[in-house]
Amino acid sequence: MVRVRSLALLAAPIGVALVVWSCDPQRSAVAPMIGTPLAHFNVFQCTPLKITGGGRIDYPPGTADKNPPASHEYETFGAHVMDDNGDCSPEKGQLEWVDHRPEWNINGSPLNLHSITITFAEEATDTDCSDGAAHWGGTLEVKNTGEEAAFEVFDCDNGEPGVGHDGFAIRVPAIGYEVMCPDPELPPAEPACTLTGGNRQFHPTHR
Amino acid sequence: MRIDTFRSTVRGLALLLPMTWLASSAQSQMHAASTAQAYGISVSTPTVSQKSPFAVLPVGEAMATDQGQSVSVPGFVTAQDLFTIVTGDADDVDGSNAVSTATVGIVNLLNGLITADGVVAVASSTVGDNAVASNAEGSSLGNLVVGGVEVSDPAPNTRMDLPGVGYVLLNEQRPSGDGVTTSGLTVNMIHVVLQEPRLGLLGQVIGYQTVGNIIVGSATSSVTR
Repeated sequence: MVRVRSLALLAAPIGVALVVWSCDPQRSAVAPMIGTPLAHFNVFQCTPLKITGGGRIDYPPGTADKNPPASHEYETFGAHVMDDNGDCSPEKGQLEWVDHRPEWNINGSPLNLHSITITFAEEATDTDCSDGAAHWGGTLEVKNTGEEAAFEVFDCDNGEPGVGHDGFAIRVPAIGYEVMCPDPELPPAEPACTLTGGNRQFHPTHR
Repeated sequence: MRIDTFRSTVRGLALLLPMTWLASSAQSQMHAASTAQAYGISVSTPTVSQKSPFAVLPVGEAMATDQGQSVSVPGFVTAQDLFTIVTGDADDVDGSNAVSTATVGIVNLLNGLITADGVVAVASSTVGDNAVASNAEGSSLGNLVVGGVEVSDPAPNTRMDLPGVGYVLLNEQRPSGDGVTTSGLTVNMIHVVLQEPRLGLLGQVIGYQTVGNIIVGSATSSVTR
């Protein structure tokens, strides 16, 4: 009888621990990191957030300097995401991305990516983006081919003005496409490429 | 006498007070606003009116896009690979922003009088705790040739005459707002102003009148605190 009581006393905390563990949010389930880990954007939290804006990136190299206009080595985009509940499942979001580089001209047009669904959004807390950063993504359509693919973006608001400070990066592994700037010397923080036009705005009251 | 003065004062206050209430009420009801629009090509003459592709930020929404693989307005302009993206957010607490982009690939105006290969117009406006500002950073013109002359990186509002046609404004930038509670900017990368001579009684040219406009790559953004 004593042994049964002892077993019950041992089993109870284990059972409670198992229940607590099972209730703990599995963030990786809603926010899968595609590919290898990055130097920054490794630590995330589910929290209410909103980030909006758009602009231009000159990648490669993705620094604050514009490439010569005739080179067509630039990308333009608009993107926003909003997670009001802070559960990493955004209520709203959209991405439009155009890569004007000749090598990404597909079927006679610049590469054009258009989001279909936004499935996750999480705040990145290990960056040096002064006003806030987010990692978010979902699925998109490659407008040139009709192909659908998963994507993720790394979104950085590093103060005003956006040009020369804020950053943005995108990765679409299924089509071998990425605009990432993994240079630790680059402001504001890797892997985001620095904006040469436009602005990103993180809204702190949604934090 | 004193009673009359008192009554006049009361009447005056009765008239003035509601006005101050109305003014303060209107001020308190001002909300943050964000507007954005962009288009690739616009032709406006007495016989032609066309704007394409054209994106306008809907009220309460955060983004809109439009695009066209090619656009042709015979005699005026042909263009390829046109994309417009507008984004914005009006937030009473955190501040507002608006960003518009218009990009055009190969463009040919007035049967080769002006050509370019890579037009980018970007307008960005932001209002926050410490700043209300707009800029055209990111705008550029690639391989621009005007009347046989190569033009690289024109300064804002560069004007070049087009004999027999009118003139062209390159990298036209038109700011708006008071810089305190509002700020806005329109960027037109190529703006051809079509003109015809005005003739006097003896047939002499006494001036010119504008008869149309052609704009390639236009982005507009504005925000209100």
